Amino acid sequence: MIVFDRVSFSYGTHEVLREASFSVRFDERVAILGGSGEGKTTLLKLLLGLLRLDSGRILVEGKDIRDQSEEELREIRMQFSIVFQEGALFDSLNVKENVAFGLREYTKMTEGEIDRKVRELLGRVGLEDAMDLMPEELSGGMHRRVAIIRSLAAFDPRMFLYDEPTAGLDPVNADIICRLILNLSKDGKGFIIVTHKVFDALRLADRFMFLKGGSIIFDGNKDRLMNPSVPEIQLFLRELNLPPAP
Amino acid sequence: MKTKEWVSDLQNFYLLSFQGLWVLMKRPFYSKDAIEQMDYTGAGSLFIVLLVSLFIGMALSLQLSAELSVLGFKMYIGKIVGVSIIREIGPVMTGLVFAGRAGSGMASELGSMILGHQVDTLRVFGVDPIKKLVAPRILSSVIMLPALTIIGDTVSILGGYYIAVFVGHQSAAVYWSSIRGVLNFENVLSGFVKPFVFGYLIACISCFMGLSTKGGAIGLRRSTTRAVVLSFIGIIVADFILTRILFYLLGFTL
Repeated sequence: MIVFDRVSFSYGTHEVLREASFSVRFDERVAILGGSGEGKTTLLKLLLGLLRLDSGRILVEGKDIRDQSEEELREIRMQFSIVFQEGALFDSLNVKENVAFGLREYTKMTEGEIDRKVRELLGRVGLEDAMDLMPEELSGGMHRRVAIIRSLAAFDPRMFLYDEPTAGLDPVNADIICRLILNLSKDGKGFIIVTHKVFDALRLADRFMFLKGGSIIFDGNKDRLMNPSVPEIQLFLRELNLPPAP
Repeated sequence: MKTKEWVSDLQNFYLLSFQGLWVLMKRPFYSKDAIEQMDYTGAGSLFIVLLVSLFIGMALSLQLSAELSVLGFKMYIGKIVGVSIIREIGPVMTGLVFAGRAGSGMASELGSMILGHQVDTLRVFGVDPIKKLVAPRILSSVIMLPALTIIGDTVSILGGYYIAVFVGHQSAAVYWSSIRGVLNFENVLSGFVKPFVFGYLIACISCFMGLSTKGGAIGLRRSTTRAVVLSFIGIIVADFILTRILFYLLGFTL
């Protein structure tokens, strides 16, 4: 279980999260919606201990991440697989080396074994021919697919974290990424996806939260999301071009 | 900038500078990264160091030829060129060129890695960014800057020779004899200690500025500019302090 308990965080004087509270099970499929700059990415970074919260608590399986050393945080981070916005592939490494990065750091696999594993993983996302390409030679969709595969190459995560995985992609590539995300969560693994794309969130998640003004102002299922009482969510739903409620 | 932030930045800078050295002694060693950095900072800066050093040596020799011939002291050109290049101009000039080329590159590369979440990705993979990114840059700088300085000094002295002999009509034997005379332990040590310190300073300042990048393209521009400006200031100030210390330790009389 992941618990955010009255978490506050500021970048300097700019308050991003104000006593945000929620809890998520590792097998849940959650979408956190919200506008740009509302702190969605910050939530994920706080969860992984990449940022230090100002106040409140974040518990991962009962462990307060504030009390953990960098070594202990490493153990916690290994339970997750995160894909940052736009993939965050290492510019100086080609596709093969990017995917092999975690394998080289965490396993004692031989070069031959790494090569076979990378080929197999890239084959799962139809990119076995892109092994020698550099990140700048990849399209946006290919970038995300490599990033997703890289994130799970070295360890077997319990939960996936996706930061705007379909942002800036055309509908065809967004569809490929959504199918990949659903495919990876088939065996009961949950995910938290932060996005401002309602259409993709509805397709992927079972539970939805809405972040506004640093707090979670909505937490519910699809039916509740589609009939919101909160004006900000109604604005977001306009993206879907739904007919007005009778 | 607020005083609190300034103090905090200074504290973080000292921490990074110390950790950058400390982690060099701990496994794993990212030797491939260090070699890549040596290629980028050393081989990549070689041509510009050669060019700058050659012209500095020639300009210095030209100025001295003009002034010393009036006074009838042309035989001292080699000695003055040698001492000033080996002890002072060579290390400082090569340091400034290195900071402008390699330092700015380090800051902008690390800054774009911060903005692109690549540093966060490293941490998620359990990799210490200081060890993977900062330590190889420190190592490459403290190895390559002294090497570049030796090469630059040699080229400057050759440039000085060309002007002194072919333009100033001084005897080549006298010039080389003067150069041999200044190549003593004190002068060589004085010129060799400085690039180590400058290399360490440049790498630490540039890496710190790069890793502190915030705020998109404007932030990247700011951190790169700061890296170069602070490296320049650091080199000039450190040069004076080191000169004073070395004068004391090596017994140079004023």
